[in-house]
Amino acid sequence: MGRLTIEGVQKHYGKVHALKGVDLDIAEGEFCVFVGPSGCGKSTLLRCIAGLEEIDGGRVKIDGEPVEGLRPRDRNVAMVFQNYALYPYLSVFENIAFGLRARKAPEAEIQTRVARAARMLGLEAFLERKPKELSGGQRQRVAIGRAVVRDARLFLFDEPLSNLDAQLRDGMRAEIKRLHQEIGKTTVYVTHDQIEAMTLADRIVLLRDGRIEQQGAPLDLFERPATRFVAGFLGSPQMNFIPCRVSNGALAFEDGRTLPLPRPAAEGRSLLLGLRPEHLSRAVDGDPRPRLPVEIDLVQPTGARTYAQFRLGGVEATAELPAHAVERPGARIDLAADMDRAHLFDPETGAALRD
Amino acid sequence: MIRPDRGLGLALRYVAAVAATLIFIFPIYWLFMISFKTPDEIFASPPVWWPESIQFANYGVLFKDGDVLTIWNSVVIASVSTLLAMVLGTMCAYSIARYRTGGNFFSDWLLSNRMVPPIVIVFPVFLLFVKVGLVDSYAGLILLYTAFNLPYVVWMMRGYIQDIPLELEESALVDGCTRWQVFIKVVLPMARSGFFATAVFTFVFAWNEFIFALVLTRAEVTTFPVQVTHYFGGQSNFWAKIAAMSVLGTVPIFIAVTLLQRYLVRGISLGAVKG
Amino acid sequence: MSALRPPFADRNFKYLMIVPAVTTILLVGLFPVIYTLILSFQNVDMMFEDTSFSGGKHYAALVSDARFWESLLHTLIFLVVALPAELILGLALAWLFLDRMPGRQVFVALLVLPVTISPIVAGATWRLLFDNRFGPINQILGWFSDEPVTILWTVDPFYVYPAILAAEVWQWTPFMFLLLLAALSNVDRSQIEAAEIDGAGFWRRFTKVVLPAIWPVMAIAILIRALDLFRLFDVIWALTRGGPGTRTETFSIYAYILGFQQFETSYTAAMSFVVILLLVISITIVLRRMEIDR
Repeated sequence: MGRLTIEGVQKHYGKVHALKGVDLDIAEGEFCVFVGPSGCGKSTLLRCIAGLEEIDGGRVKIDGEPVEGLRPRDRNVAMVFQNYALYPYLSVFENIAFGLRARKAPEAEIQTRVARAARMLGLEAFLERKPKELSGGQRQRVAIGRAVVRDARLFLFDEPLSNLDAQLRDGMRAEIKRLHQEIGKTTVYVTHDQIEAMTLADRIVLLRDGRIEQQGAPLDLFERPATRFVAGFLGSPQMNFIPCRVSNGALAFEDGRTLPLPRPAAEGRSLLLGLRPEHLSRAVDGDPRPRLPVEIDLVQPTGARTYAQFRLGGVEATAELPAHAVERPGARIDLAADMDRAHLFDPETGAALRD
Repeated sequence: MIRPDRGLGLALRYVAAVAATLIFIFPIYWLFMISFKTPDEIFASPPVWWPESIQFANYGVLFKDGDVLTIWNSVVIASVSTLLAMVLGTMCAYSIARYRTGGNFFSDWLLSNRMVPPIVIVFPVFLLFVKVGLVDSYAGLILLYTAFNLPYVVWMMRGYIQDIPLELEESALVDGCTRWQVFIKVVLPMARSGFFATAVFTFVFAWNEFIFALVLTRAEVTTFPVQVTHYFGGQSNFWAKIAAMSVLGTVPIFIAVTLLQRYLVRGISLGAVKG
Repeated sequence: MSALRPPFADRNFKYLMIVPAVTTILLVGLFPVIYTLILSFQNVDMMFEDTSFSGGKHYAALVSDARFWESLLHTLIFLVVALPAELILGLALAWLFLDRMPGRQVFVALLVLPVTISPIVAGATWRLLFDNRFGPINQILGWFSDEPVTILWTVDPFYVYPAILAAEVWQWTPFMFLLLLAALSNVDRSQIEAAEIDGAGFWRRFTKVVLPAIWPVMAIAILIRALDLFRLFDVIWALTRGGPGTRTETFSIYAYILGFQQFETSYTAAMSFVVILLLVISITIVLRRMEIDR
């Protein structure tokens, strides 16, 4: 129970075309994360699944049954909202029990279910409190409690962690993942944070401008981005994109430096080389990888790693090096490029070149 | 803020503030005092500013003659019409606030109903009420006050409802509420302080209203402002009764408004100032 | 699928929610206006319920009805005197109470009491205050005069206007005060300080910084009070009933006398309708000029 199928979903807000035909099939028990920049349609898509927005075209099916004409209450889904959506005038217990009461569950069942949810989320001590007496993390737990207490077919999360501070966010992220492993319910999770997407997802759906740009397992998207947009969105610091041209069977940059071609490409073709900062390291003697002499112009230590910036092919590029690899700007060093893991993109369409 | 606050400046301002407050309070003081005076004190020249003793005989007369029934009439009419206006108005306000029902035109039209002078409304309504037998009845005035206060309630409650985070309602919808249940279980509790504030103002409007009551009541359901005007005579005025009846009709309003100080600005500015 | 279609109540929820309110308002708000229009073209009065079409007869009569135009003039006089007086006094009071001072909240709470009183009670109170022998106002004026003051405030044609205006301004100045105090409290102090540093004098600071900041609230306050003053009835009814003669008769009082004491039904209807039109026209113009948006 809990298979979600989306076929050609369209949504307009006035003149804005928010969803331009989205197709998606989410398997039972899968943890699927919608990610993308703001305005890409990820929240809209989630709200269409919940029934909070009516779709203008296409189908939404849960377990094969079309639900697009149904009210939210008849879809039997549970949703966690960004600002917790707790009722300030109800106790934590009544907040968690709200959905059960709305569906007129028997009192005994409400008691056992709320107790179980509270135990799962470590909220037993707070059941009689009002939401305003709780910390941000506890409120978020109550919001999640409201969702898990019901026997819903789908769990929907709309940027649930974006209001928490960074430390709390890491903890809650782990908790949500553990919860999913325990309960095993189909989950759709919206976030703009690529780290949340990478860590939580069985499958990432990356949206852009009302369309799915690419979907797949997190590492699949990370290692084999279909477009320049996907490659740039996932990974921090961002992937370097360096304009170059195929010349004499190698990649030539406008400043004359060259690197070997990672995969075959037509002679003379203009390309974008995509190379992640962590795939550039300081060259040591005997390293078989191709070398790139650079002059460092900016050094940003972050603790364990240091980001060193340099110019290549007319743009600024970054290498992620060990802490003390470069001490100050102006240093001239040789970098070794991991060309096995480099990507090539068409500068016009942004599509990745495939073998 | 605009002028520096030196010691002397503050003292001057303080004197001015006390003086201004005394001037504005004096008429109310005078009204209350008359209601506690004996006839000799009321009709003394020069006037007596402080009565010998506080005595309640003037109120006793109102109770004995049954004039206080007009206060009861006002209570019934103002309470029931307030309740109706609040229920109907809040429902309508919710629809406008969340679904923009009828667009701007509809809400403008609603508010414009409050701008029509009452005398213009009451005239045809009187003719209608004569035909259907609603003159001098509770039902007639209640209906009229309900309708007259509805635009105010809708306008105010729309503002209070728009202050509620939409997420709370959406969460309830997903949790299994019908739209009506969302209204009852989420919107009303969330808007309850605004609801009570609006209800009190609505009550005050109905309580203080005069023209409708003057035209549409005879002997049976006279409200207290109309009763006050009955004491004005051509030659002599029933001063004691005017004062005592006025005080009876004013004290409840003072109490209510003082308790609602926080909502006062928003209430009387039609929501334009959130204070 | 059809079994699970949302029920009628949910599909039409937003309309069902407004039906009761709209029905009530239509019944008691729109119906009267339409009925007024119909009546105004008939011939109904105390004697005859003559519903035949009378053409524009009543409207024509209205044009030459001096008492009607005078009542509009009286209304206008009250409006143009009371409104600026309330505005200026209210602004001065708001200015006075803007900064912290001990007991400020108590002062404000006391100052607003007049607003909440029934206008009939306010009128009655001032009638007691203005009494020529037993009221304190002539007594106080007597302190500044050699001989006893015996002004007949509610009867003497020379003094009725000041009397009514005093009661009206007393009751509604606190309304202006309260709204302007709220508006002034929200003025960004740093803007005023910046203007002061730039060398702007008091008047310049007020007109260039403070006034634009409080204008939205001021405009609403003026609009609300103007509409109230336009239908002025209660205070005058309690103080003078439009007298002496027709000297303080506003449009509302004239309409009341015509309709409910002389039962000139159709004529009153025509008058009411003309006033509604005048009101709509002036509100539209004023709103355009003031550029108030929701």
